[in-house]
Amino acid sequence: MQMNEQLIREVVLQVIAGMKNSAENINENKTALGYPSLLKREGKELIFNEIGPTTRSNKTDEVVIALAPAFGKYQTKTITNIPHAQVLREIIAGIEEEGLRARVIKVFKTSDVAFIAYEGAKLSGSGIAIGIQSKGTTVIHQKDLAPLSNLELFPQAPLLDLETFRAIGKNAAQYAKGDSPNPVPVKNDQMARPKYQAKAAVLHIQETKHVVPRGKTIELAVEFK
Amino acid sequence: MTIIAGVDIGNSTTEVCLAEIKKNSEIVYLSSSIYKTTGIKGTLDNIPGIIQAIEAASNNAQISIKDIGLIRLNEAAPVIGDVAMETITETIITESSMIGHNPATPGGLGLGKGVTTHITGLPELESLESVICVVPHTVDYEEAANLINRATEKGIDIQGAIVKKDDAVLIGNRLKKKIPIIDEVAYIDQVPLGMLAAVEVAESGQTIKALSNPYGIATVFALKPEETKKIVPISRALIGNRSAVVIRTPQGDVKERTIPAGSLIIEGLRQKETVDIEEGSEVIMSIVKKITPLNDVHGESGSNVGGMIEKVRNVMSNLTNQPRGQMKIQDILAVDTIVPQKVTGGLAGEFSLENAVGLAAMVKTNRLPMEQIAEKLAKELGIETVIAGVEANMALLGALTTPGTAKPLAILDLGGGSSDAAIITNNNKTSSVHLAGAGDMVTMLINTELGLENLHLAEEIKKYPLGKVESLFHVRLEDGTVKFFDKSLPPQFFARTVIIKGQDDMVPIQAKHSLEKIRAVRREAKHKVFVINAVRALEQISLTGNIRYIQYVVLVGGSALDFEIPEMISNALAGYGIVCGQGNVRGMEGPRNAVATGLVLSI
Repeated sequence: MQMNEQLIREVVLQVIAGMKNSAENINENKTALGYPSLLKREGKELIFNEIGPTTRSNKTDEVVIALAPAFGKYQTKTITNIPHAQVLREIIAGIEEEGLRARVIKVFKTSDVAFIAYEGAKLSGSGIAIGIQSKGTTVIHQKDLAPLSNLELFPQAPLLDLETFRAIGKNAAQYAKGDSPNPVPVKNDQMARPKYQAKAAVLHIQETKHVVPRGKTIELAVEFK
Repeated sequence: MTIIAGVDIGNSTTEVCLAEIKKNSEIVYLSSSIYKTTGIKGTLDNIPGIIQAIEAASNNAQISIKDIGLIRLNEAAPVIGDVAMETITETIITESSMIGHNPATPGGLGLGKGVTTHITGLPELESLESVICVVPHTVDYEEAANLINRATEKGIDIQGAIVKKDDAVLIGNRLKKKIPIIDEVAYIDQVPLGMLAAVEVAESGQTIKALSNPYGIATVFALKPEETKKIVPISRALIGNRSAVVIRTPQGDVKERTIPAGSLIIEGLRQKETVDIEEGSEVIMSIVKKITPLNDVHGESGSNVGGMIEKVRNVMSNLTNQPRGQMKIQDILAVDTIVPQKVTGGLAGEFSLENAVGLAAMVKTNRLPMEQIAEKLAKELGIETVIAGVEANMALLGALTTPGTAKPLAILDLGGGSSDAAIITNNNKTSSVHLAGAGDMVTMLINTELGLENLHLAEEIKKYPLGKVESLFHVRLEDGTVKFFDKSLPPQFFARTVIIKGQDDMVPIQAKHSLEKIRAVRREAKHKVFVINAVRALEQISLTGNIRYIQYVVLVGGSALDFEIPEMISNALAGYGIVCGQGNVRGMEGPRNAVATGLVLSI
């Protein structure tokens, strides 16, 4: 495939147009997710109530979910148009199924998924956090690791589906319990990179726009309506 | 003055001892070396390994290979061992009568009984019958919880739920009335609807009480005495689970079938006996003991064990290039073991631990083609090469250089393929035996009992102690002590059970077994093979047939280097009043190099 400036311009325009229509698109995406009946009823909209600046917790039964600056607010779906509401709901469900609690925080000072997750891990009572970017890139982190290291990394956002997000939540919770789960199986697609590179770049630039240098990390109360 | 090299070709390692013979025939040891045996012991493929080992020893002694005047090869014991395993029981569930798998996270608590009903049928339900909900993957957890809550409000008595996805805790947390919930039932569409069923979930850390007890099931389903008899296999299959479902279908049954594995025909010099594999290792071994020395062992033709024995024979004949008819099995070691196997007819992909028998067989071949090796070696190195001494005698000579030993002395040479023993009496008479079953068998047992399907990992588990990474800065070792690290460990170690190979060399185990379980399996496997074989071997070489006649036992060979096998054997033999321990050849080599040293000494 030849990549020229015109093509890139077209892709970018399409992406931006797609983002504008995100609100309408949510309804269409629901059928593809396996349980259509649910989607008419729940998980439609994600409502964040900002609780305020957060500190490190002593609760060992929690897993922190650290969101990137634009997550659920300026961007509402991942690179493959999975609504953020459903992504977050599945991760939280995975954690709950293991008997632990999820605490959702939003990191403003960076849009780098490794540092977002690392910030979460340092604030997490169990030392385990899941960091997630608006486009869907996800990482499971532990507080004693170097920031750019990780327990599990899911770099190819286009290949993540809701089942994987559930499994990520489950695995993070098992790490928090001191279990040793098998890493979440991820698909690998060489075409994902060329196919989504432009879109990923645009989404990441959009995300980075909402970075607040030295911004305080805040805790969120999450509601699904 | 000549320099001679004693070369011992073993199953897994080739060892060399270099020594200088002075004019007054005083022996001065120069160096020793050890190298991996290339190819199968006793074949021409060994040559590269031998040359490497000799080179290494020469380098250690700072001499040139050309300085060596004579190479003495051992007359390797012509025995080769192989291992095989056969499952002898099988669990079959008919008509989806039971779901006995152990999901990691069942939901709710207690025992519930009702008629299996699809969850989407709940709103239309009118009757006051008790209900067990069946939840397919198309129904989300919140929706399932809503449906159940609404039905409960309507007055329907919902007693439990069977769920396909891993949603049990999620549903349980959203219910107004707590019910037991089992999840991860893979083939939920095969769960029969409209049947009476019972669901039980125990508290975490506990096991179910009602459904694992035949009378418990009888109480739940109001069974008659003769019906209760029939459900014993079901309750037995559920023992130890934290959760279970039993569905009462007209023909539903769980069978523990014994697979007709066939029988072994053990031929001694004077008599012949037939023993069924199903009778287990104890019976087989008692017959082997009675009939020893064996002439040959056959499996019933057309049966599983027949195929297994023939496979061993084939492997051996291919290795040695000798006709199959000449492959006489001289010893077998049978070991009971358990193998996790998928249950036939199970709805949740459940596994059940089936009984199996592991067999090690030892084949005595004709003399190995040692002459060819000697000839070729002489040609390649230009050094005179001779075949000297029988392996066992050489090992005895070498072992006697261990400080604190005296005749009569017995050695146990615990290798990879066979366990050998030899004895030397006060008047220098020697005798030796070769028994089937050694390190390779332990590896096989660890591999199958833990369901690893990875022989390399099983081998590592066999060789090294374990630890559990409790945080990225400390590891708790299997003896309970803690080791700290200044720098954080790499993330792949986090929360894993690890094999401690060395100071900073650890291997994570990617399997869902606890450290305690792996350790127990490892020790059990070593006990079943090495301790049993040590006693068996000493009984056979003892002149009186009584193991107490032997006073000193020296352990040599690769497995004597193991971190726990020598202690296990010492412990077991201490009961017979025997001094037993790891050898220390020439007071410096440890249990290694006994044969090579013996070859030098015997000049």
